[in-house]
Amino acid sequence: MIEIKNTSKTYGTGENATAALKDVSLTVSDGVFIVLLGASGSGKSTLLHIASGLERPDSGSVNVDGTDIAALPDKELTAFRKEKVGFIFQQYFLLPNLNVDKNVKMGADLAGNGGYREIIEAVGLGDKLHKFPSQLSGGEQQRVSIARALAKNPKVLFLDEPTGALDEETGRQVLDYIGNLQKARGFSMVMVTHNANIAEIADTVVKMNSGKIVEMAGNEQRKTAYEIGW
Amino acid sequence: MIIRPKDAAKLFGISIMCFCAVLISTMFLNSNIDMARIKDQITDPDALLLHDMVVSSGKMTSAVTGGALALTTVVILLFYVKHYIDTHKSELGILKALGYSNWKIARSFWVFGLSVFTGAALGFGGAFALMPAFYRQMRSDELLPDTPLRFNPILVMYLVVLPALAFSALAVLYSHRKLKRPALELIRGTSNVRVKKAKLNGKQKPDAPFLRELKQSTVRSRFSLVFFIWFASFCYAASVVMSFSMPEVSSDMMAVLMAGIGIVLAVTTLFIAVTTVIKGNAKTIAMLRVFGYSDRECARAILSGYRPITYVGFALGSIYQHGLMLMALSMFIGNDALELPDYSFHWQACIISFISFVVMYEIFMRVYAAKIKRIPLKEVMMEE
Ligand SMILES: Nc1ncnc2c1ncn2[C@@H]1O[C@H](COP(=O)(O)OP(=O)(O)O)[C@@H](O)[C@H]1O
Ligand SMILES: [Mg+2]
Repeated sequence: MIEIKNTSKTYGTGENATAALKDVSLTVSDGVFIVLLGASGSGKSTLLHIASGLERPDSGSVNVDGTDIAALPDKELTAFRKEKVGFIFQQYFLLPNLNVDKNVKMGADLAGNGGYREIIEAVGLGDKLHKFPSQLSGGEQQRVSIARALAKNPKVLFLDEPTGALDEETGRQVLDYIGNLQKARGFSMVMVTHNANIAEIADTVVKMNSGKIVEMAGNEQRKTAYEIGW
Repeated sequence: MIIRPKDAAKLFGISIMCFCAVLISTMFLNSNIDMARIKDQITDPDALLLHDMVVSSGKMTSAVTGGALALTTVVILLFYVKHYIDTHKSELGILKALGYSNWKIARSFWVFGLSVFTGAALGFGGAFALMPAFYRQMRSDELLPDTPLRFNPILVMYLVVLPALAFSALAVLYSHRKLKRPALELIRGTSNVRVKKAKLNGKQKPDAPFLRELKQSTVRSRFSLVFFIWFASFCYAASVVMSFSMPEVSSDMMAVLMAGIGIVLAVTTLFIAVTTVIKGNAKTIAMLRVFGYSDRECARAILSGYRPITYVGFALGSIYQHGLMLMALSMFIGNDALELPDYSFHWQACIISFISFVVMYEIFMRVYAAKIKRIPLKEVMMEE
């Protein structure tokens, strides 16, 4: 469980200062799927980075299973990310000189996961093990990055606009893979998007506006990526 | 103008290369020309012989150092042109889309030749600062008559003007070749990762740890960097080891000059190589750290793959300088009039040089490992 309490974050100083987060609190319980919804610049990515230990808030705390990760030194913060979290980004960020198999191995080795090829199969890339990122379509690359994140057996998966660079159909397919894997494996998930139509696939929808949480709503019944009218 | 002189200023590595090459070549060639003038005054056959020796060894020295450094400069220049085009793909693509012809863009790459001109001109000037001492030491055995130091304008032509023009032309021609790609491909920056398939995978053990795979692929991905790092150690070994024999066969001044040039070249090429490695892998390093690989693991995966190459370079450099020494001395053999300096492979020099090289290299790597630590995760991820 992640408990974010009264966190604020400002970038720059003086005239250039931007308050990206203003006194934000949020709890991510085990096994839930939360969507962060909001316009561009509303602070979604910043909240994601703070929740996942990529950045420290200027004030406030981020408690994960009893430890305030906002107060950890760099080394331990890195170790925290290694053990607990997985990331998926809009731009995939695959390693260009390594093939699919090795890219996924990057995640797998961190968890000593020898059976990572199953996950490559699960995202439907079993026959592309030896392809390089430049030889894959956008949707395939994003599936590699999903497999890479899941191969490290994260407790929480963070996704920043994972379908932002994909066309509608491919995006739906990718979301479907993620949704199914989350149900099957039971990790928690925090996903950033600015697409309101996607929100219904989550358990909880958190709306943000100019650095604040403005609305929080639960979905009674989660929908699949194919049921939402996107 | 598309490429500004400011961009050329970044090519100081080339300037340093040219400085060293021209410094050495000017000293020896200028003294050769001046010595040709005094040949008529020599009557003693022994002195005549010595005169010819000095002239031919001067020719050899400038041919070997000048040639080797010119070749390296070519490699570095091509590397920079390619690097410039790779990192400015989209701007160049837009220019092409706007209707600029390949030649029009390529022509502006002549500016890169300025770095050659700067280095060569400084080297030429530097040579004249050193030459009085060099001339004095040359006739220290009193066998040869006094050689007056003169300025030979022809050398400005051959060592400064022509190289600058030639390298400018090379930059233009090479960039023209590299620009022959469709504008859209440049704008989109379609990645040109060389894809090596099954062949390589067959060689590796199927389940090497990820970090080892990454280390190997980093080294394999850019040949030019392997060459630079090899060259740095080769150059260091050849010149520093040889400098230990210099007081014996030549002079203290040559020893200092030689070691100094070797160290400068080694540091310059290492600097070019390592900064490029780190810049080129910034995204990869950021991703590794995001996922939870420690700073040390990152530094090792990205940098340590090059270490074996330095050992090879060092060994070859030591052997190369040994060969050169033997060749130089063989020119003296068969001439009883001259006292032959003793020479055999200088193991002690080799060991001292090796240790100092390893120390320098490791410090370099430490400094850059610390740089890796400071790559800001967020900035790297927000780029694009
Ligand atoms: N590293 C940074 N430096 C300066 N400003 C930043 C930085 N990161 C984010 N910001 C600013 O903070 C605000 C929130 O950004 P972000 O969290 O990325 O929003 P979102 O993901 O919702 O689009 C924006 O105004 C953005 O410009
Ligand atoms: Mg964002």
